[in-house]
Amino acid sequence: MTKNPLARGLSRRVFLAGGAGLVGAAAVGTRLLPALAAPAVTAAVPTPTGPNSVTVHLAGTDGWVSMPDAPADAPFFPDSLAPAPFDTYCFGFRNVTGMTPSQVAAERGKAQISAPMMFFDEEDDIFITLTNLGLAQRPDLFDGHTLHWHGFVNAIPLFDGVPELSLAVPIGRDFTYYYRPHDAGTYMYHCHFEDVEHVQMGMTGMVFVRPKQNQRRRGVITASPAFAAGAPTPWGGTVATTIPAGKKYAYNDYDGSTRYDREFAFMVTELWSAAHYRDAHIQVNDWTDFDPSFWLLNGRAYPDTVAPNSVAAGPANNQNVFPVGALPVIGADPAAAANRLQYQPISSLINCKVGDTVLLRLANLGYQNHSFTVDNIDLTVIAKDASLLKGRDGTANYITTNTVDLGPGESRDVLFTAPSVPGKYLLYDRKYSYLNNGGGGGYGGMVTEIRVNASLADQTEPNH
Amino acid sequence: MKLLKRAGARRVAVGAVVASVVAGTVAFAPVSAAESNTEGMQCDTDAHSNFSLTAQAGYVSTPDGNSIYMWSYGNSTRGFQLPGPTLCVTSGDTVTVVLHNSLPEPTSILFPGQSGVTADGNAAQPQFDTSGSTLTSLVQPAAPNNGSVTYRFTAGSPGSYLYSSGTDVEKQKQMGLYGALVVRPAGKTNQVNDRIDSAFTAGKEYLFLLSEVDPDVHLAVERNLPINWSAYTARYFMINGRSMPDTLAPNNASWLPGQPYGAMVHIKPYDKVTNPLPATIRYLNAGTVNYPFHPHGSDERVIDRDGHPLVGPSGQDLSFLKYDLDVGPGQTLDTLMDWRSEYNATSNPIPTQIPTITDQLLVGTDTWFSESGYLGTKNPTPTFITSNNECGEYYHIAHSHALQQATNYGATFGGMMTLFRIDPPTGCPTK
Repeated sequence: MTKNPLARGLSRRVFLAGGAGLVGAAAVGTRLLPALAAPAVTAAVPTPTGPNSVTVHLAGTDGWVSMPDAPADAPFFPDSLAPAPFDTYCFGFRNVTGMTPSQVAAERGKAQISAPMMFFDEEDDIFITLTNLGLAQRPDLFDGHTLHWHGFVNAIPLFDGVPELSLAVPIGRDFTYYYRPHDAGTYMYHCHFEDVEHVQMGMTGMVFVRPKQNQRRRGVITASPAFAAGAPTPWGGTVATTIPAGKKYAYNDYDGSTRYDREFAFMVTELWSAAHYRDAHIQVNDWTDFDPSFWLLNGRAYPDTVAPNSVAAGPANNQNVFPVGALPVIGADPAAAANRLQYQPISSLINCKVGDTVLLRLANLGYQNHSFTVDNIDLTVIAKDASLLKGRDGTANYITTNTVDLGPGESRDVLFTAPSVPGKYLLYDRKYSYLNNGGGGGYGGMVTEIRVNASLADQTEPNH
Repeated sequence: MKLLKRAGARRVAVGAVVASVVAGTVAFAPVSAAESNTEGMQCDTDAHSNFSLTAQAGYVSTPDGNSIYMWSYGNSTRGFQLPGPTLCVTSGDTVTVVLHNSLPEPTSILFPGQSGVTADGNAAQPQFDTSGSTLTSLVQPAAPNNGSVTYRFTAGSPGSYLYSSGTDVEKQKQMGLYGALVVRPAGKTNQVNDRIDSAFTAGKEYLFLLSEVDPDVHLAVERNLPINWSAYTARYFMINGRSMPDTLAPNNASWLPGQPYGAMVHIKPYDKVTNPLPATIRYLNAGTVNYPFHPHGSDERVIDRDGHPLVGPSGQDLSFLKYDLDVGPGQTLDTLMDWRSEYNATSNPIPTQIPTITDQLLVGTDTWFSESGYLGTKNPTPTFITSNNECGEYYHIAHSHALQQATNYGATFGGMMTLFRIDPPTGCPTK
């Protein structure tokens, strides 16, 4: 029998100072490190302009997106109301950070799928304002929107985004959510208003938190004694070798085992054309008939998954959201992928170089289980649901496999080592019936490529 | 979209009754041969671990007003209930279960994970027809129309197990012939398994038996018509035989006579002195697909799977935290959960302001929200909104994240969903 070496409720500060780290036979429970970060003395109330603060402004609205070539499924697909070059109605979020009110209002009807990708550092003071712009296609509806940070531990209802248990944002209003994440990892966010509808309609995105072990905050690198050789680990041991500052780790592992060179995040969803059609055409949908038509990574179906990001990266290292700013509205040429995918801006192409350690952040906000595989490359699952796979006694339980299962609402962090010779590999769902677009022939759905290059510049932003 | 709304009137009524029950103003008639607690797991126990179950027909109600014909196991002294009684025994004990069958076809019980299972004194084994080649039942059945069979076994490793029919399994399990077997560690009180790190707060023990119903199958059985399995589509999704919001009603609610088990979790925040131990939740899947169950507001630590602790060969702790428990068909998971309070109006205030009520969208005619971010603070709600909030307690939902399963026949905020209630550290003043 192995006992938890840590007493619960021990403040992290005391603990990191090497204080009462070895207490108590009856130390049991769920979390090892207490989530309480509140210091004993009254702290300054965080403000949106504080040194560790991040402000994000999101808008919720509706819009139109494009699936790849697929057989017609009249009347559902393509949707007869869709303006060229689009074919599918959706709801979604937009990143409107820094926009003027009139610029924000102009985003009505320009929803994107998947939602803007957000990434923060542990202990950031995060202020996310959500504005509800209403539904351009459905002015008869008065749907609210909310932000649910899925998996946020010790959430309070006010910031949890379940309208029946707190509140929702009415059309024309906004509301500011506040988060201070204590636990690094891969999370997701979505609207929880009439969830089965708003999630299926596209209000789903990735959010992940970088660990203190990076010793990098807001782009500034500061070595921390907590990760120097001899410092105590949460599991009762000590750090064997100093963990250098400024590298990239997925978790506070205290042994460097989750270090990576490049990261790629994948919002896994399905798209049921009939439901999207019915929402656009003022019809009622029975959600228990759920029968998806497209299987998406970051809001796109293969081969669109490997098309580039629709916009360039923002300034390196100090952005928290991708894409940044208004998406360029390019034109209406239906043949141009850049036009078709302007509201599906996030690429799933994995570009790396030989020998790189690549981190995959997988999160499923679809309603089906999926199992991802890469032929000829081993995958190592290091975390599930934003929790490092180490027991309360520090036993590592990483899983090396060729198939990563992922249920609805779950996340996985997966590492792989890029092979030593350049080449092209496929990442795909081993459920082969999900590898088509709308029941058509050929390959589609949940497929993307890993391109291993002989050389490649360092990554400055996820999914680039 | 607003067109397909939940059954509003009934929901309000249930919500209001729940609030009053939580306040302790409603008494219940005790149920014989079982614990009678208003919240939490309710065990059937016996000093000699002898149980008598009757497979029988009955009806359950759904929150949208439907009434579903079911088959289930009932304690022979009480009558129909869905799911079958939660049988609580101790690891190593000899357990006897007599099954009486009042159904018009043979039925049986499988006890996975138990050792030395016998049926009428013979080793439990699959049954074949006289040709010896056609499987007729996974285990010895009780004959139809008042036949019986006696199963006996040694209770296995501490943890949770799903018992269910081994006869005509696709039909009989869909019809409701399943229940929970909870095996407790010998000589340990308030522990999930033999490890000290599985200790939980006394009385804070919950069991979620997850299942689904296609009403067309049940209608066909009730009318003795053929079942069209190729058209099988589940429409109702249940925890302990109830769908949201009925999951919130207390155990043994008088208005749910065949569905005695509630599913609302009711805890206080972690405190190293006054509330140091977690609650435990046992998940069991009696359905046909994975149920990805997502509790809001807290991770849960998975410590047992299928009745076995997650340990390495020399006792290493291989438990892990999850914010979504993806339970496969027939699988069980035992978890520990707590919730930790962070905000305090003086030492760690919430750095934002709640908008005025007119700038909020409160959904429906009732709310669980206290109109405050702080635990234990309750502010006024508009007079046209019914408040289910008693004293500023927090409510989080927990639900299947295959979101069509979080509906009642497609209507949101229903189905496989319940609430976790977190009271202020000192409790509600009215309690």
